Amino acid sequence: MDEAGRADPAAGVGRLASLIRLDAARMVSRHGLGYLGQAASAAELVAAVFRRLRPDVDSFVCSPGHYVIAVYAAAARTSRLDPALLATYGDDGALLEAIGTERTPGVDMTCGSLGQGLSAAAGLALADRLAGATGHPRAAGRVYALLSDGELEEGQVWEAAMFAAHHRLDRLTVLLDCNNSQVDGPVDSITTIEPVAAKWAAFGWATVEVDGNDPAAVLGALDAAADADRPAVVVARTSVRRGLAALPADADGHFITLRPDLADRLVADLATATAAPAAGTAGTAGTEGGHR
Amino acid sequence: VKPPPYPTELKPYGRALLELARDRADVLCLSADLTRQCEVDLFRDALPERFVNGGMAEQNLIGVAGGLARRGWLPFVHTFGVFCTRRPYDQVAMAVAYPDLPVRLVGFMPGLSSPGGPSHQATDDVALMRALPNMTVIDVADAVEVRQVVSALAELPGPAYLRLKRGETPVVFDERTHRFDLHSARVLRSGKDLALVTAGMMLPASIAAARLLEQHGVELTLVYAPVVKPLDTRTVLDACAGARAVLVAENHSVIGGLGSAVAETLAEAGLGRPLRRIGVQDTFAEGARTAAYLFDRYGLSTRAVVAAAWALAGCTGPAPQPPAETVPAGSYAPV
Repeated sequence: MDEAGRADPAAGVGRLASLIRLDAARMVSRHGLGYLGQAASAAELVAAVFRRLRPDVDSFVCSPGHYVIAVYAAAARTSRLDPALLATYGDDGALLEAIGTERTPGVDMTCGSLGQGLSAAAGLALADRLAGATGHPRAAGRVYALLSDGELEEGQVWEAAMFAAHHRLDRLTVLLDCNNSQVDGPVDSITTIEPVAAKWAAFGWATVEVDGNDPAAVLGALDAAADADRPAVVVARTSVRRGLAALPADADGHFITLRPDLADRLVADLATATAAPAAGTAGTAGTEGGHR
Repeated sequence: VKPPPYPTELKPYGRALLELARDRADVLCLSADLTRQCEVDLFRDALPERFVNGGMAEQNLIGVAGGLARRGWLPFVHTFGVFCTRRPYDQVAMAVAYPDLPVRLVGFMPGLSSPGGPSHQATDDVALMRALPNMTVIDVADAVEVRQVVSALAELPGPAYLRLKRGETPVVFDERTHRFDLHSARVLRSGKDLALVTAGMMLPASIAAARLLEQHGVELTLVYAPVVKPLDTRTVLDACAGARAVLVAENHSVIGGLGSAVAETLAEAGLGRPLRRIGVQDTFAEGARTAAYLFDRYGLSTRAVVAAAWALAGCTGPAPQPPAETVPAGSYAPV
């Protein structure tokens, strides 16, 4: 973590989140369309996890595989991935596929077939608990699982939720990106998933509901989750339009189409947004704008 | 090999897994509410700290197993065959097969061995698992091999599906001489007329049929191929090359299982032989109370194997009929 991030963790998360949006806009603009909305909504969640992740101790599962665009950016900005690779996102033969694979860097597991990630995360948490008997460092590890609200329509998520609560997997934290967006439109227009927090509570989870685009709120929620005596879910209310003010009102948040002029404007806006707070923190991630 | 009837054993798998787990601290036993039925009540009672019951939630359990395997554990997942293949297929594909993890899926009640109706009959499990890259598919039904396959699976780096008969398991092979391995099919007898390739629960009927046919002048080479994938194509091709026609007998749909694997092998090698597939003929099997009834009704009996071989060998006249045998209590004989 950079010095500014240590002094003010929320500011560090906010800055990394802005860089995630900027990098995602650049990656998507090369193709003219893609998963920019997911990077926009989950930027603070991914940034917060990357600020907390201890290598070889903690685990990170990105259940919705198309969110890996945000992971790629976060990994590149935290020295876990060669930033030059971001310019190959989604290309033929590229390591960085638009929907995550087994080769995807920066995660312990991701899955493009939605709803499967929480089961894997529960398996990792159970493995860490079993490792306790052998004194393995992962016994002190935390498993972070990023889920999306649309995934709650998959029954397997609720199987996994029951399993984790029954087995009291208290080192498991779900970051639930409630951006109210899925392929066919707003989630609430397709399936009523509310009350989300009450559902998880009824399944035996500790719940914290926050503005998921507020860095301080997200960090506070992760602290509360870590203190819980059971698995915990951070119900993060977010927007696919966060930081993308230039986006037209009728844009499809799930799979954003960017004409060149709009792409240029979004990138310019995000570059401005990231440049300002990064001033005076030479050598930090905030100044690494020239990866392309 | 000796002819039926065979003595039987109860819970050879459950005992073998427990024995393996006592030797290897990385073995975990996962169950999905069918613990006693899958013989792992033995494991649960002896090593509860390494037993996980995920309840009736197979999709989740497969994902959990994948997570455990990613961290170096060796999970054996137990339920009925239909519930660890057909129901959680996407999970097996994405959480186990694609990452090439050492998860062992152990599915009981293969093919028509269940009185549970089509919902419980794993008639397409081999086809489903065979279609997945990285997956090893094994169909054994002999207690000696059940023991040996468990130790063999401990050493396999990738995923495997093992289908096992539930309840009394026949002892067909000689413990002192039989050696299962993951790479070899076994030629149990040789004959010039036909090649019969079989696996799993069709082994006893195939042995009985081969003996009866021999008494009536039809000689066949009997190949036992419990590892359906990767198939020992060398042994299969050698056996088929020496025969005028080929028969495959399996307790599974004729689509996608051992019969398909043999057909593909022959075709790709350019070895043209007439081929007949004994198995479930692309249908769901209703009317279940006993496995014996189902095996007879759906063409998996010794009589069916004999009749198919008789016709394939070009013999005229009625096919020989297997004698009605009385099976001593506790013994196993094919229908």
